[in-house]
Amino acid sequence: MKNQENTPPVEEQKLVFPFQLADSDSQEIISTALARGGWLAEIFLEYTQFHHLLMEDDIIKETDESIRLGAGLRVLEEEKSGFAYTNDLGKETLLKAARAAAMIASSASTPTNSPPFPIPGSLSFERKIPPHALYPHQDPLPSSLEAKIKLVQETYQTAFKVHPHIKKVRVSLVETLQQVTIINSEGLIVSDQRPMIKLVCLAIAEKGARREVGLAGDGGRIDLVHLNRHNLGQRIGQEAATEALQLLEARPAPAGEMPVVLAPGQGGVLLHEAVGHLLEADFIRKKTSIFWNKLNQLVANPQVTIVDDPTIPHFRGSYNIDDEGTIPQKTHLIHQGQVVGFLQDRLSARVLKQNSTGHGRRQDYSCLPLPRMSNTYLDRGEYLPEEILKSIKKGLYACHFQGGQVEDSGKFTFSLSSGYLIEDGHLTAPVKQVTLIGSNLKVLRDIEMVGNDLLFSDQVGSCGKEGQTIPVTDGCPTVKIKNLTVGGML
Amino acid sequence: MKTSPAKTTFTQHEILQLAADLVSFAQVRGADEVEVAISQGEEFNVDIRHQEIENLTQAQTWGASVRLFKDNKIASASSSDLRPETMQNLIANALQRLELTQEDPWNGLPEATFSFFSPEKLELYDPQIKEIPIEKKIELARQTEKIALSDKRITNSHGASFSCAELFHALANSQGFVGSYQETSFSLAVGLQAGETDNRAEDYWGHSSRVFERLEKPEEIARRAVARTVRLLNPRKISTQQVPIVFEPEMTSWLLGFLFSCVSGTAIYQQTSFLVGKLGKKIAGSNIEVVDDGLMPGKLGSRPFDQEGVPCQRTQVINQGRLDSYLLDTYSARRLKLKSTGNAGGGGVRPNNFYLLPGSKPPDKFISQLPQGFLLVRTIGHGLNPVTGEISRGAFGLWIEKGEIAFPVAEVTISGNLQDVLHQVVFIGQDLEFRSPICGPTIGVEGLTVAGN
Repeated sequence: MKNQENTPPVEEQKLVFPFQLADSDSQEIISTALARGGWLAEIFLEYTQFHHLLMEDDIIKETDESIRLGAGLRVLEEEKSGFAYTNDLGKETLLKAARAAAMIASSASTPTNSPPFPIPGSLSFERKIPPHALYPHQDPLPSSLEAKIKLVQETYQTAFKVHPHIKKVRVSLVETLQQVTIINSEGLIVSDQRPMIKLVCLAIAEKGARREVGLAGDGGRIDLVHLNRHNLGQRIGQEAATEALQLLEARPAPAGEMPVVLAPGQGGVLLHEAVGHLLEADFIRKKTSIFWNKLNQLVANPQVTIVDDPTIPHFRGSYNIDDEGTIPQKTHLIHQGQVVGFLQDRLSARVLKQNSTGHGRRQDYSCLPLPRMSNTYLDRGEYLPEEILKSIKKGLYACHFQGGQVEDSGKFTFSLSSGYLIEDGHLTAPVKQVTLIGSNLKVLRDIEMVGNDLLFSDQVGSCGKEGQTIPVTDGCPTVKIKNLTVGGML
Repeated sequence: MKTSPAKTTFTQHEILQLAADLVSFAQVRGADEVEVAISQGEEFNVDIRHQEIENLTQAQTWGASVRLFKDNKIASASSSDLRPETMQNLIANALQRLELTQEDPWNGLPEATFSFFSPEKLELYDPQIKEIPIEKKIELARQTEKIALSDKRITNSHGASFSCAELFHALANSQGFVGSYQETSFSLAVGLQAGETDNRAEDYWGHSSRVFERLEKPEEIARRAVARTVRLLNPRKISTQQVPIVFEPEMTSWLLGFLFSCVSGTAIYQQTSFLVGKLGKKIAGSNIEVVDDGLMPGKLGSRPFDQEGVPCQRTQVINQGRLDSYLLDTYSARRLKLKSTGNAGGGGVRPNNFYLLPGSKPPDKFISQLPQGFLLVRTIGHGLNPVTGEISRGAFGLWIEKGEIAFPVAEVTISGNLQDVLHQVVFIGQDLEFRSPICGPTIGVEGLTVAGN
């Protein structure tokens, strides 16, 4: 954090990027990790800074600075992973971690702390520079506390001014810089510096005995100045307040099966849940996904093309290298209704005899990489949004998404904080708190119309898998699903 | 930590010393009040899939968090880099940030406390953790999966896992509080699939314990995981209706988790709970008794003192349907002119052992009397709104017809409102087990909508 004060304290300074392993140390650690065999050994080093600011009750209430420093040592043998992590990056500790990770490659039943550690002189490292530069790279956390306070206050005040029914507002701003270095037994050394900003506003509206909450946010891998060019604070404050006010008038959703139209942008979460997860290659190699035997099969309406692209500049889900050091690739998952690809990390790619698509991601140094989505979207179709609405006599228009979940068996849900009824081709009454449930093969077949108005959701989304949360973005055009179970009230 | 061969761990004494040093450093630099928490631990995990080791993980971790107060302002910091210069920089930066933030009269450390429940008597630590051979840990997971896979109805496995961890927590503040305790945890679990590719059912079962000897055996975990998975095979959809819903204990726990987020003092002062202004009022049927208790020996949610050094206690939250207490940390308590209940967690209120008191009858008694009903076994998705109490989730369960389980049900949702649900609990079972920090027995609830065809 930069300091704008006149009298900076002596200690106020950027914390030093704290890991510079000498090549000879890396060599010794990698050799130690591979002492019992394995096809890959890897050191993942992470240094992440978080800056958080919270405004509520009309004051800047809290500020927080956090540092995450750690290393993960991984050894892969066949399909097995040996893994050790630590917060101490001293050479002795890293060697100890390497010995722990190496245990996977022995018979595993006779671990010992003193095997021989040959140090092959043959391992030499090459520093790679990623070809992408998807986000600002140099001055990592450029925004001053004053600038952040100004943005948060602007958001806060905007939300309050929307209407006297707005009784409570809370605004938080999180700025992060994750720095990672990956060193592996193939001689790779590669680093990435990944900035992230997220501004979130919560607004509560009250009218009589009724209280409702609205949420909005945006951000991305972008610096604050650039992000704020489009009056971000005003837009987010306005959106949160508007949703809360709209919910004051909303009624419970109807219950039962009906046609559902996904609004462009946020509706992408349905594809993320219904399709994206089950095309992650770990579920394919383990045959737990219903798609494991469906490569090249037609599973969806031919209007459906689904893509995952980690290389969209400034998006939350983007990265210059994945967390295994692989250069990411835009990956087609479903093309005109046919399954054409999976999201691969190195382990799954090896088992499935393919190449990694650069989708090996981890929450942090303490987690093993998994094949994950990045920025996932349903590509545009041919219909005008109006045509899609017109085709529906009675249905649900889904616009504010809270999130979703899927099981490998293909059952998924996603939840809306609010939406609208569709009656005779028009949006009518607002409805609230709806859960939709379906099974993915059926919903893919039931996608009847795909609009031409592709949009991406606001840059606030995260995805959880096996306890690991990572930033993602979803997108879609207006989409009509013939029939979906809507969980409302009788 | 004595048995660890590496030089790079701290002794307990060193951790307490570091915490005290950082408190002094911040005071010298101008903080009115300071609190420093430091934890250090070791973790182990093994995942077995199709009888092979899939992942073997060992970790050595530490981390510190600091809260500083000056002129009724607060700034905080945390780090997993414990080098003195890093911690000192973080403290200096926090003091700097305080200049630009605003006063909040409720800020500050809790009143000084110098006594808390003996960590030893809480049975949080099992010294056996240092002696279990790695082969035995691997074998427990392998056995669990092996037994499960021996059932012909099981067609695939998500794998079985054994994990254990030991942690040392130290807390010091400028009021003179110094406290520390050790804890251990052990867990064993397996996830399974039954049925063929396009028509699969899946579920899992597991157990966690602070004491190794009390961890459920592989036979028991595997048996329940198999039974839970195969009972969901070949589900049907049901028509949309209101029907009595039987919550299995895990589902009662889920519902209580939602209740917890609504009685949390943070949600109350932030006005993000439907229970704002309801203290002392009837919010549930007279059969509802809910307690938070941090002092139950050996339980997963127990601890001698909370994250702020406030001694943990037993708090009756709901008494015969009346809301007797919110759950509070020091800040939310001051905001609400109440007293902390010892529920401070890192950055908010957290439960200790938060549970619904059991009734006296077995669940079978209730189920056998239902002409029709829906036995809820799992929910997925989001759809809980503490501001309004609204519940809306995807659901899996079993249809009950004439008092007996008739067939599994999938692809339905349940919806209702917690405000109503609390008055519509018509049965509370005797089967309370403390399997997680938030828990409850089987309950029967009327008035929820199940949406299907």
